[in-house]
Amino acid sequence: MKKTMAQRLKPYLFLMPMLVFAAGFVYYPFFKTFLYSFSRVNARGDILGFVGLQNFTYLFSRREFSAALGNTLRLAVINVPVTVALTMFLALLCTRKRGISAAAETMFALPMAIAMSAVALIFKVLLNPTVGYVNHLFGLTVGWYRDKNTALSGIILLTVWMGIGFNFLLFLSAFRGVPDQLIESARLDGAGGAAVFFFIRFPLITPTLLYVVCTNMVQALMTSGPVMILTQGGPSRSTTTLIYMMYTSGYGSSNYSLAACVVLVTFALTLVCTLLAFAAERKKVHYQ
Amino acid sequence: MKRRMVRLLTDALTLALGFVVVFPILYGLMGAFKSPAEFAAQPPTVLPRSFSYTDNFAFVLRTVPLLRYFFNSLTVAVLISTVRLLAALLAAYAFVYFEFPGRGLLFMLVLATMMLPGDTMTVTNYQTVSRLGLLNTYLGMSITSFVGASQMFMLRQNFKTMPTAIREAAILDGCGDLRYLFFILTPLSRPVLVTLFVQSFIGAWNTYLWPLMVTSHDEMRTVQVGITMLTSVEGTNYETVLAGVMLSLIPALFVFLFLRRGISKAMTAGSLVG
Repeated sequence: MKKTMAQRLKPYLFLMPMLVFAAGFVYYPFFKTFLYSFSRVNARGDILGFVGLQNFTYLFSRREFSAALGNTLRLAVINVPVTVALTMFLALLCTRKRGISAAAETMFALPMAIAMSAVALIFKVLLNPTVGYVNHLFGLTVGWYRDKNTALSGIILLTVWMGIGFNFLLFLSAFRGVPDQLIESARLDGAGGAAVFFFIRFPLITPTLLYVVCTNMVQALMTSGPVMILTQGGPSRSTTTLIYMMYTSGYGSSNYSLAACVVLVTFALTLVCTLLAFAAERKKVHYQ
Repeated sequence: MKRRMVRLLTDALTLALGFVVVFPILYGLMGAFKSPAEFAAQPPTVLPRSFSYTDNFAFVLRTVPLLRYFFNSLTVAVLISTVRLLAALLAAYAFVYFEFPGRGLLFMLVLATMMLPGDTMTVTNYQTVSRLGLLNTYLGMSITSFVGASQMFMLRQNFKTMPTAIREAAILDGCGDLRYLFFILTPLSRPVLVTLFVQSFIGAWNTYLWPLMVTSHDEMRTVQVGITMLTSVEGTNYETVLAGVMLSLIPALFVFLFLRRGISKAMTAGSLVG
């Protein structure tokens, strides 16, 4: 049967909106970023010429960049294991359904409902050196966001808190998905709590674990909001992150080629995590 | 007996940890009821002397157009979620029911957008949106979030589970593709669509960086951006900022507490597929 012109065009018309949005706001900016990183670009965003790797050598020579890269990696490397261990523990505490389940689950999932900027402002007060409650409660004299030695820890504390809700729910549904018969039969064979965890529960939730690790890693590498609200990258660059640097150099100072180089470095870091997350998701779908 | 003790202790530990997690929010709420003198008093307390001091809330409502911020956030979140789902529905339909040259390649192209995190594109997208003259408009605040590859993927998976016989019968009866999609397939996919909508809505409602960049007029700010502006308003201090934060949280907390089960399910379900 011969198709008419209209019939042949139809699939593309259906795809048009999606493709236009993807082309305009994902692929076009990506290729532009790529071009910018190898070009001399004026403050209006016009490309003036090809400069090879000059932008990158300039970027790598900047103190701000090494600070941003170091802070971002430190943030990610601390945030991810802490978040994973904490939320996995909380989920284990809640796995068995009982009287307090609804209350406990609501409390642990709550951070999910709170927007980042609201969290940042609350933490700003909570960690205030004089009127804040944390220093008083623990008898500390820490400067938190005002001290270059503790500012990043303050940011990490906040990002860990923000991640509790969602990751807790993911682990909870994973633990509850482990078939009861498996655990019962292991118990009958004399396995204790630790054995049940390490030999049955943990292996069965590894796809969820891998997914949580990767998505949190990407998120941590993208951290910029709390830094913008709380510290503006300071004190003395102790909280500058890659995306924050992209924002200040590109949007703030219109140095587009520098911002583009920062983006490509960040992108390279996230790519590995994203690909791993994809693989984890595939596996998770099969388990269901 | 020993088992009961262990269970009781576990429950106590669970609730205590729950309290620790919720503490920052409670602390913020209590602080919003304190007078400036009370707030500055040493040693710091959690509880206010009374809950009758509401000047902070009154101050926020007087100085900041909070209702306008809510309206802006709502408009942008609805616009993003709706357009994103419409585009995803059409694309998913094409990928499932049509045979055409380039199908595999285009499918990969759409999926690959997920590998480019949105925040890395903000500076270049800002240039585009600015050139299109969309700064300080709802469209400009939403347009970069219209691509929904994961939504498309979820819908595609969902359509694939529908028996093809229904479509063949409908088409034989003279039903067009668009009518089939919107009057038969969409109602059948309602649970997935609700999940995806809620998920997109929450994400859009909570965004900070992009709306901050593309809005410079105060009356176009979203809630998330607006409340951070409180810190730079003359006459504000910690207690008024907390009052603003608490007011900004009302819609989200309301939705969360009443629809928690549904939302929890929606959020975790969506994450299963990239």
